[in-house]
Order: sequence, then C-alpha cells, then structure tokens
Amino acid sequence: MRGNPLSPAPAGVPAVRTIVARSLPAAAAVAVFGTLYGAAARGILGVPLTLLSSVIIYSGALQFAMVALLGVGTAALPLLLTALVLNLRHVVLGAALRSRFESGPLGRAGLAFFLVDETFGFAIAAGNAVEPAAVGRTTERTLLVAGLTLYVAWLVGTLVGVLGGGLTAVESAAGAIFPVLFIGLASLAATRRSHVIRALAAAVLTALVAWLLPGLRMLAPVAAGVLVALPGRER
Amino acid sequence: MSTLLLLVIALTTYGSRAAAVVLLPRPGARFETVLSRIPAAIFAGLATATLLGEGGTLAGPPILGAAAGALVATPARSLLLCLVGGAIGYGVGALVG
Repeated sequence: MRGNPLSPAPAGVPAVRTIVARSLPAAAAVAVFGTLYGAAARGILGVPLTLLSSVIIYSGALQFAMVALLGVGTAALPLLLTALVLNLRHVVLGAALRSRFESGPLGRAGLAFFLVDETFGFAIAAGNAVEPAAVGRTTERTLLVAGLTLYVAWLVGTLVGVLGGGLTAVESAAGAIFPVLFIGLASLAATRRSHVIRALAAAVLTALVAWLLPGLRMLAPVAAGVLVALPGRER
Repeated sequence: MSTLLLLVIALTTYGSRAAAVVLLPRPGARFETVLSRIPAAIFAGLATATLLGEGGTLAGPPILGAAAGALVATPARSLLLCLVGGAIGYGVGALVG
C-alpha cells in the first residue's frame, strides 16, 4: 500500500476520529443487527460457526439469508448460488471505487475486505467532499476506518446475540437507521442534477422489481443503479 | 453446515469484493463517467429496498416517517442533518402510527 491510510492526515484528509464519529450511528445499528443475527444463528450453526461466520464473511445480508436458508434445510449448492448472487453487487461497488484508489494491488486487496454497502457510501461521500488531490487518500482511509468500526460493531453484536443478549426492543429503531443513512449518502453522492434524476429513477425501478420479483429484492438496487447510469454522455 | 462450506462462502464473498478493486485496471474516461453516476443511484435503490419488505409491503409508519424526515433534509447535503431529520420523522411516525 502506498502510504499507510492510518498515518497522520495530510491537509484535507479527514482524521481517524472524525471518520469513526461519522460511522457511529451506522455502527450502532449494525451492532443491533449483529445481536439479532447471533441470536438467530446460534441455534442453527452452533456457537463456534456463528462467531466464525461473522469474523470471515462480514456481510449482514448474506449471513441472514444463509441462516434463513439453512433453517429450512437448504442444501450446499443453492446456498452457494445465493451467496454468489447476493455478492454480485460488490463487483459493481468495487468498480465504482476503483478509480479513487491510489494503493497498489496488495493495499487494495486489504481494503477490499471492508467493502460493504455502508462503508462504500462513507468512502464515496468523503471523497466527494475533498479537493481532487486528497480524494485517493480520503477514500482509502475512510473505507478502512469506517470498515473497521462497523466490523467491530458486527462482531460485538454477534457475540452479544450468541451469549443470549436481546435487543428486540430497539430493532425497529435500528431498522430506521438504514433508509435514513442511504438517503443521506445518496444526497452526498448526487453532485449533479442528473445524478438526482438518475437516483429517483433507480428508486422507482427498485420498488418495481421488489414488488414484481420479490426474490430479486436484494439485487434490485445495484441492477437499477447500473441501468440508470448507462444512458447519456454528460458526467 | 460444515466449516468448509462456510469457508467457501467467505472466499466467494471476499472474491466479489476484491474482484473489481484489485484486478480492474483504472477505468477509461467513458467508463469512469458511467461509474461516477452509480453511487447516488445505488443508495437511492438501497434506501427504497430497506423500506420494502417481502412482496413489496411497506415498512411501518415510524420507519417511513424516518425516511421522510431524512428526505426533507437532503437539500442541506449533510449526513448529520439527515440523521436529525430521520430521528424527528421516526418520532412523528411512531406518534401517528
């Protein structure tokens, strides 16, 4: 990696504590969902595999889907296919971030583990907020720090859930964090009027897919995002 | 579920994350233009998906209120204000619902 993303911040690049502070609301919500995951998975995977799954997968959507499928007796192949389909969106997110990275292949390989929907959003928004010369460093540092913050929250939540802790009382409030977070990130990422129009079109397309093809609900946002991004020549 | 299957799923997940980040060369101008349009659209889609349950059913009034509150705050282009708007909207939705 060219330069350590955690070394003191040059001008314009947000400090580590700033990124942590910005990530905390999402981390709190992730911790709540981690708790719910730990509680749900414990009876199906057992304690060791539940903890291991959060350590090595770090994907709420996939892990919840995995437990739901295992709960109804799904075999290995459909489980793998589900994982492949749900993971397709990472390829698009990674492609959108690629041009902002400055590190070499090894550094990017390390950062890739922390690429989830929320950290992608934080990294894009942080990169949009700084001068062009600081975009690469800001994007990498934000992805790493926000990724670590949310990863720790996910692990702690899973552990609490496995140990029998229940946070169902705040599940609804935690569920409200994600639409709010994504709406806020959309507003930060929409730097042009055409982006706003495309974002609205993607929202409508996603709703249509979720309504007509509920099985593809998790893929719909990425598919819609790519479809509305294609037409036109302006940036 | 076996440990091996879990490892394979973890590898496919990491592979999907690393595929474009590590292997893709820096994109050309036209491709970069298209990529720059994707984030806002994906976030709008993700927000929509989190408001819809199985079969396209809408989330409850508190969550819809939170989303509405965040939407009202979007012209400020501030994540903090969106969170504040979302919290107010959540409270209003909980009272109404």
